[in-house]
Amino acid sequence: MDFSLSEERKMLQETIARFFENNYNDIKKRTEYLNMNDGFSKKFWKESSNLGVISGLISPSFGGLGGSGEDISIIFELIGKSLCIEPFLSSGLLSSTILSSIKNPKTELINKIIDGDLLVSFAHMEMNNRYEDHFVESKAFFENENWKLNGCKSFVINGDSADKVIISARIEGEINDKNGIGLFLVDNNQINNRSYNTIDGYRAAELNFNNLNAELLCKDDLALECIIKANSAGALALSAEAVGIMQVCFDLTLDYLKTRKQFGKSIGAFQSIQHRMVDMMLEIEQVRSAVMLASSTFETNSSTRDKNISAAKNLVGRVGKLIAEESIQLHGGIAMTWEYSVAHYAKRLIMIDHLMGDADYHRDRFKLISST
Amino acid sequence: MNFEYSEKEEKFRTEVRDWLKDTLPKYLSEKVKKHQRLTKEDYELFMNNLSKKGWIAWHWPEEYGGTGWNAIEKHIFEEEIVKASAPRIVPFGVNMLGPVLIEFGSEEQKAYYLPRILNNEDWWAQGYSEPGAGSDLASLKTTAIDKGDHYLVNGQKTWTTLGHHADKIFCLVKTDINVKPQLGISFLLIDMDSPGVEVKPIITLDGEHEVNEVWFTDVKVPKKNLVGKENEGWTYAKYLLTFERTGIAGVPNSKSALNHLKMVSRKSMKNGKPLIDDPMFSSEIAELEIDLLAMEIFNLRTVSAAAEGKAPGMESSLLKIKGTLVRQKTTELLRKALGPQALPYLPEQFDEGWNEMPIGPEYAGPIAKQYFNMRKISIYGGSNEIQKNIVAKASFGL
Repeated sequence: MDFSLSEERKMLQETIARFFENNYNDIKKRTEYLNMNDGFSKKFWKESSNLGVISGLISPSFGGLGGSGEDISIIFELIGKSLCIEPFLSSGLLSSTILSSIKNPKTELINKIIDGDLLVSFAHMEMNNRYEDHFVESKAFFENENWKLNGCKSFVINGDSADKVIISARIEGEINDKNGIGLFLVDNNQINNRSYNTIDGYRAAELNFNNLNAELLCKDDLALECIIKANSAGALALSAEAVGIMQVCFDLTLDYLKTRKQFGKSIGAFQSIQHRMVDMMLEIEQVRSAVMLASSTFETNSSTRDKNISAAKNLVGRVGKLIAEESIQLHGGIAMTWEYSVAHYAKRLIMIDHLMGDADYHRDRFKLISST
Repeated sequence: MNFEYSEKEEKFRTEVRDWLKDTLPKYLSEKVKKHQRLTKEDYELFMNNLSKKGWIAWHWPEEYGGTGWNAIEKHIFEEEIVKASAPRIVPFGVNMLGPVLIEFGSEEQKAYYLPRILNNEDWWAQGYSEPGAGSDLASLKTTAIDKGDHYLVNGQKTWTTLGHHADKIFCLVKTDINVKPQLGISFLLIDMDSPGVEVKPIITLDGEHEVNEVWFTDVKVPKKNLVGKENEGWTYAKYLLTFERTGIAGVPNSKSALNHLKMVSRKSMKNGKPLIDDPMFSSEIAELEIDLLAMEIFNLRTVSAAAEGKAPGMESSLLKIKGTLVRQKTTELLRKALGPQALPYLPEQFDEGWNEMPIGPEYAGPIAKQYFNMRKISIYGGSNEIQKNIVAKASFGL
């Protein structure tokens, strides 16, 4: 066993860390970016691409420079530390995962994603399908040699500014059938979208479409496999992002405990407060360990991959709540303000539990995989 | 022991309920239900109605215009106003300052301020916390220097809830800096329109403006605005805090949030079935309901004892801790129940008259925001950590 990173990965980590720190140095910067037209900074996105951050998420077989579980974790942990809102997850990871996992991979499109010139969103969630991989109500039908789509997709991250969208739609069967789902590629300019901010500062959209022209990417078993793979990759990335966020929350809190004085001493001098910090530290190490395991088995068979990812994401949900709530509580009133960064970290940490399956979803999935 | 409400109490409940039905405008209860932003006028409308009815000062003795209700009746009243989705009664004048003036104020102060509070003529704010004095309230730094016929006040207060609406503020100030902190504090009433008073908004993590900073620069305050004796303000401050803490258990609010949670869990879907059918999730709701059920009795025990003249002591600290945890748990389960529907955040949805289509079910809009906003309740009014210190110090003899 070897728990250390290779020299190459360490260099990647250091380069990206420096770049993020220089561009996301405080919470005002993030607010400035999220108020931009697209809900993020296109300049920062392009510069990230030039530095190889996006290609770090994609395998060399498709023109990337990384794509392993470890690469994804390293990059997303840094995204968490800086609280970046650029489309690393939607376009960089979820969409490229699908475009590279189909029978005839769309290498050309993936290369454009890597270059930061093409934005592709993954639209799978629907208003009432919660976190399920196979609950799909939107419909696909074949007419005059063309695939057409009808339906609505919800909570599509970067769904407003994406050039293209990958949509899951049902070709046949009932809403919860595992079979009969197709994945389709469409041009976003044909779609009616309603965009909004999420409470943790991302841009998302509701997509509405009627007889929308679409290109079939894959269907049935392969489509479901792609959805599961994308959602698992997303859950791993979010878990790693959460580790980065938790560490920042912990560091900010510890720093505050040392500087804030009440009753004539730093509040960190109180033993009851120290014990709570130890609990936080311990739980963060638990999450970090689970995420390391999940990233190391990302390229193995799907049941090991998904079992370990579910373990990590379940812990992230449980521990994320602890860290977010304790960071605010131990700071006191100051952490309730918009101006102070810890609130924004806490909001993202909590809302990560509302994406790609919450703690309950992953607990149930872990149980299911473990019992078979 | 008897845990049933008596016929007389049930009659009282009906009276309160009918009165609310007759007097609370529909638009206002709708705003409260939807967690829309309330204007100053919204709060005042409800409080003026209470004043006219003679129900505003339900914590005061009857001779000062109080209602004379016993603990159970007060509890029923609180429960009904929450159930009716009425705005909250702004507590600073009627529930905080009022009892302090009745106990410690001069005859002149009582004669002037109490009727004004009963008629909502003044909007009061609370000037306790300072940037350097939160949990350690006694370490406050705002000074009031004796200038003969007036005090000269300099300093800064913070977390002043709804201070941007206030006409007056009651403040803890330092009148003697050469003694142990608790011994040099005085309780002062200050007009917000005095020269040198400045209010600056604090935007909270949910993007809202509810709390403020209040700055004092060479503010002249007449001597007659001192409550009680100089340098004895700490005693009055603590007396007031016991009133602040009883309400903080928030049993009626948690009850109404629990009902809301059940409704949302019936409508939210998991695997094609209502979430409430999920055994794990419904168990969480059940445990929350059990906590709340016990806490309601605990709260009633405490208010009954208070009604018999025993000042609420450490029980109010225990209730504050448990009350805030239970309330926060309801907001957590509501957030969880929504799943991804908790993500969208439309700030304009909380403006009066907003009539666009919500994203997803209408009830989803405020839930994540409420969860984050409710983190404050275990921090303010004496953080839960401070409550634990109070209890440990008062009762263990360690």
